[in-house]
Amino acid sequence: MFKKILIANRGEIAVRVMSTCKRMGIKTVAVYSEVDSRSLHVREADEKAFLGGSRPKDSYLAKKKIIDVAISHGCQAIHPGYGFLSENPEFAEMVSRSGLAFIGPPATVIAQLGDKMSAKAFAKKLGIPVKPGHEECISTLKEAAAIAEQIGYPLMIRPARAGGGRGIRVVDSKEMLRTAVESCQNESRKAFGTDEFFMERYIERIRHIEIQIIADHYGNVIHLGERECSIQRRYQKIIEETPSTAVDDSLRERMGAMACNLAREACYANAGTVEFILDSRNKSVYFLEINTRLQVEHPVTEMVTRLDLVELQLRVAAGERLQIRQEDVIGTGWSVEARICAEDPARNFLPVTGMITRYAAARIKNVRIDSSVEAGSLVSTYYDSLLSKVIAWGETRTEAIESLVQALNAYHIEGLITNIDFVNAVLNHPSFIEGDLSTDFIAEHFERGEMKLPPPEEWLHFMAIAATLIYHNRQSLVHESLKPMMTKVGSPHQSKDQFTYLTKAEDVFLELRLTVNPAPHNWTVMVNGVKYQVVTPEFEFYRRRIKLRIGGKTQFFHTRYRDNNIWVAYRGVTRTFGIYTPLEWKLFYHMPKPKKVPPEDVVRCPMPGVIVAIPIKQGDRIYRGQDLVSIESMKMETFVASPSDGLIEKIHVAPGQAVETGDVLIKLKTDVLPSENE
Amino acid sequence: MKERRSRNNTRKKKLKPSTVQYEKVQATQRTLNALEEMKDQTLKGGGIDLIEDQHRRGKLTARERIELLLDEGSFEEFDLLKTGRGGAFGREKTYPGDGVVTGHGTIDGREVFMFSQDFTVRGGSLGEAHSQKISKVMDHAVRVAAPIIGLNDSGGARIQEGVDALASYGDIFKRNALASGIIPQISCIMGPCAGGAVYSPALTDFIFMVEDTSYMYVTGPNVVETITHTAISHEDLGGARVHSEKSGVAHFVLPNDIMCLREVRRLINYLPSNNKQRAPILDLSDPVGRTDPALDYLVPENPNQSYDMKVCINSILDGAEFIEIQSHYARNIICGFGRLGGQTIGLVANQPSVLAGVLDNNASNKAARFVRFCDAFNIPLICLVDVPGFMPGPEQEQGGIIRHGAKLLYAFIEATVPRITVIVRKAYGGAYVVMNSKHIGSDLNYAWPTAEIAVMGPKGAAEVIFRKEIQSSPDPAKTLAARTEEYRKTYVNPFLSAQRGYIDDVIFPRDTRHRIIRSLQFLEGKKRERPDRLHGNVPL
Repeated sequence: MFKKILIANRGEIAVRVMSTCKRMGIKTVAVYSEVDSRSLHVREADEKAFLGGSRPKDSYLAKKKIIDVAISHGCQAIHPGYGFLSENPEFAEMVSRSGLAFIGPPATVIAQLGDKMSAKAFAKKLGIPVKPGHEECISTLKEAAAIAEQIGYPLMIRPARAGGGRGIRVVDSKEMLRTAVESCQNESRKAFGTDEFFMERYIERIRHIEIQIIADHYGNVIHLGERECSIQRRYQKIIEETPSTAVDDSLRERMGAMACNLAREACYANAGTVEFILDSRNKSVYFLEINTRLQVEHPVTEMVTRLDLVELQLRVAAGERLQIRQEDVIGTGWSVEARICAEDPARNFLPVTGMITRYAAARIKNVRIDSSVEAGSLVSTYYDSLLSKVIAWGETRTEAIESLVQALNAYHIEGLITNIDFVNAVLNHPSFIEGDLSTDFIAEHFERGEMKLPPPEEWLHFMAIAATLIYHNRQSLVHESLKPMMTKVGSPHQSKDQFTYLTKAEDVFLELRLTVNPAPHNWTVMVNGVKYQVVTPEFEFYRRRIKLRIGGKTQFFHTRYRDNNIWVAYRGVTRTFGIYTPLEWKLFYHMPKPKKVPPEDVVRCPMPGVIVAIPIKQGDRIYRGQDLVSIESMKMETFVASPSDGLIEKIHVAPGQAVETGDVLIKLKTDVLPSENE
Repeated sequence: MKERRSRNNTRKKKLKPSTVQYEKVQATQRTLNALEEMKDQTLKGGGIDLIEDQHRRGKLTARERIELLLDEGSFEEFDLLKTGRGGAFGREKTYPGDGVVTGHGTIDGREVFMFSQDFTVRGGSLGEAHSQKISKVMDHAVRVAAPIIGLNDSGGARIQEGVDALASYGDIFKRNALASGIIPQISCIMGPCAGGAVYSPALTDFIFMVEDTSYMYVTGPNVVETITHTAISHEDLGGARVHSEKSGVAHFVLPNDIMCLREVRRLINYLPSNNKQRAPILDLSDPVGRTDPALDYLVPENPNQSYDMKVCINSILDGAEFIEIQSHYARNIICGFGRLGGQTIGLVANQPSVLAGVLDNNASNKAARFVRFCDAFNIPLICLVDVPGFMPGPEQEQGGIIRHGAKLLYAFIEATVPRITVIVRKAYGGAYVVMNSKHIGSDLNYAWPTAEIAVMGPKGAAEVIFRKEIQSSPDPAKTLAARTEEYRKTYVNPFLSAQRGYIDDVIFPRDTRHRIIRSLQFLEGKKRERPDRLHGNVPL
């Protein structure tokens, strides 16, 4: 077994590999770039080495530098993680040539299977079904008709120069082919100036299923079950689970056999994943590609098989034989993972940057969190936006999902926008709970990051209860704090134990009656007439989450005071509650309605200075809060952010120009949101 | 006629209209009824129609506001039946209450006094009786040393009463000024407040304004138009926006009456009832020793990059609760109340993301008044410093930055409450001294390792010190850069100051909260002494 290895990666995978190494007594060397100098992975390692600039090509992709570091630190192997150089055959070759072990398959295998086309050809040769489609682009109806016979219907025609979904046509039968080709070509000519197109089989409701395999250098290959990765946004997975609701034992055996066969024939070694697409309607599977590395979502397999995949990787790379046989692999229970990324779901998942000012996760049974960040971590533009993974295990799928949901309810990251609530909303969607998944899930059920379905009444009640109890308890605390100042004359009449509040949050209006029960922390709350028994914890008002037992079941909520309102997030639903006494509510009737302020369509200069840089250009689509112009003022560089969503209409300034407070820098064309037309 | 005896043998005396007893009871009953009717009438204010007008304008009536502001059922009114004299011959119509509701009640249990002007009665205009009521309640407030809250909603002086109205204003102003620094005085402008009337709120400690429905100005749009020939609306001349962003007269701006009154309740919880007391302690269970590792990295490595000081403020205060004063005015300095270890503190912090955190005229004024308020009411002062200096330029100089900067300096020096400073990054030149440095009597001064305490920025300093060398060098720019770097490494850090004892300690940013609270703990018993003089000459 290796004594010391170098991990040629960063973020949560580096931390993950290091934790297994620590357990096995293997020393670790971390490499880092400028911007990562105080990252978690650097601190977790036994030794560290600085690589260079923040751009990947200066650091994490600098093959020679990494190998030099490994040799100079006395490492015996390099673990490439995922992404970066993990599927780079050149790097694998360089590593083995320099006498180190590359923890992954041999370079030749990576080269052969890494190329999508050659992998597909290889699979086809082995009789593994591949999604029918024609590789080259064509431009005549005659060619189309011929290929259509091969592919079969329904099929999809898409322009060679794809963009924004334009020109894509689905053809259900031979009769419709001619019209489809013609209209596709028309649109393609107009949009892209060419009329060439691709043809491939069209599969509705695709599910993305992958098989985890592990092989040793002695020809032993086993598979560790499948993973369902259909929930994707921008073609990136965000929720993965194992096993899949679409895969029964026989299908699993079939797919596993195909995957192992492929690996065996290719002389595969170490861990890998064979990705398939499944047609939900007829359960036919088609090979998609093979990833010759460890994947982001490997923890779900680990939770269910109780195996440590990184350990298996190290053992295989060290030349050991696989001790596990296929029949030894038993999956228990269910596991679901959610990827937490620094991005804004409301703005098409635009990645965000910044420093994490608060980070807190609740400790929940059977929940594992693989995180690369903590309070004080910096998230930059140089690397992907993955912050952490939250993985839950349960005896059943329902249990696993519920544990994950509560973990997300209590997971709190401040300082950046994250997709925690979005992912939570996906997990709570009835279609997800039913197991009705496909790669279109998010497009189908969400718009601008919000669920299309309205949340169930009960959730809103729970959230209102959380907000009102926090409000009420704080008011009681204030009252208590003033007792020393109260008059001693005439002792106060006995305290009330019944309180009524009205709460309003966007579309929600509820009346809550609180009754303080004699038992400590025990409340009975009537929400619009529905009764709930609630047990509260010792209130700690600086915390951003609260745990309540409602009707005997523990529920976590995220909360935050925003001015006079309390923002609550629960199961992906967020509402800002304004809490009023009945008198305030009655008088609110007379208050003027808040004026709908039209969004700002000019970007003004906030202080006198000189323009340094303008990283955007005319016609760009920008989002509220996005940095548009950088100004140097008082020897300080600051960015001016956009006040609204929209397009850049005109830029009125240029770098080097001196500007004054209030000067118009940029004119925007703001988006007209649907609600403005009401 | 013989009396009939009932079955139980008791006598049932039929009360005939002519019996004396019956008349007595009737008379008393009539008096009671009359009183009830009188009170009911007064409680209706100006009548249903005017009340509905008020509501339509998006405003609440005087009594509704009182109900919202005070604890339920705690309001006791004075002078419900007081009226004006009825003009010189007693023949003018009088209105019970005379357009203002005064009395006392509790806010969260604490006794406060208040007056609420009633716009439905003669437009809330101020006459002799009206102002006498206000004066009386202010006298009570001073006598029992409890806060006074005024809800202003008035058309101004009652012209019919002539000079009497002016005299009345004077009475109120006198009391405002004499009570200043003894009891907290809060004004809410919830409607018009024009002409001389604005001076009463101006003398109080905090002014709340309601958006869209309130305005205050000395001279109204009509006169402005006559003199300057430009039309201007109430809103543009003296609306909430103008006073929160441009003039700094309004300390808080809220969207409507209800939110305004809630905010008053929130603010008053931070304050003591009078200057002999301490503010109430509110224990939010926020641990004293809570460290925040994110603070270690708040200050960017590049000294030219800005950051948001509010991140630091939210991190160190109890429960991240902070009530900011004048949040839209002079945004380059942040003033507000928070709690540390349950105790109210007054926070003054430079905001590097606005104008690089420089001190200018407006910022100096804003901070100086805040510091003096905290000193008057025993609220400890915490200062977070990141100031590159005073704002340069003829505009500032002509605006009197010299005087205004001196104001802030004077305010800090005069303050005898516990004063703690934490230097976060830059602290250059005079601004370093002004921002509560040890030299002007601050109790404790801490610095973060990122602190840069220097006479001026390294580049400027290098230009002066090594001027001859740079001028005579073959590559002046390179020499300057090298010397700047050298200066930065040697001088621009907190350690030289620490060596001299000007800084008590260089602390880890994550420990800031803990250190400040521990310091406040031992400073609790600080003796406060003042020189024996009537008052100094603040450079106003």
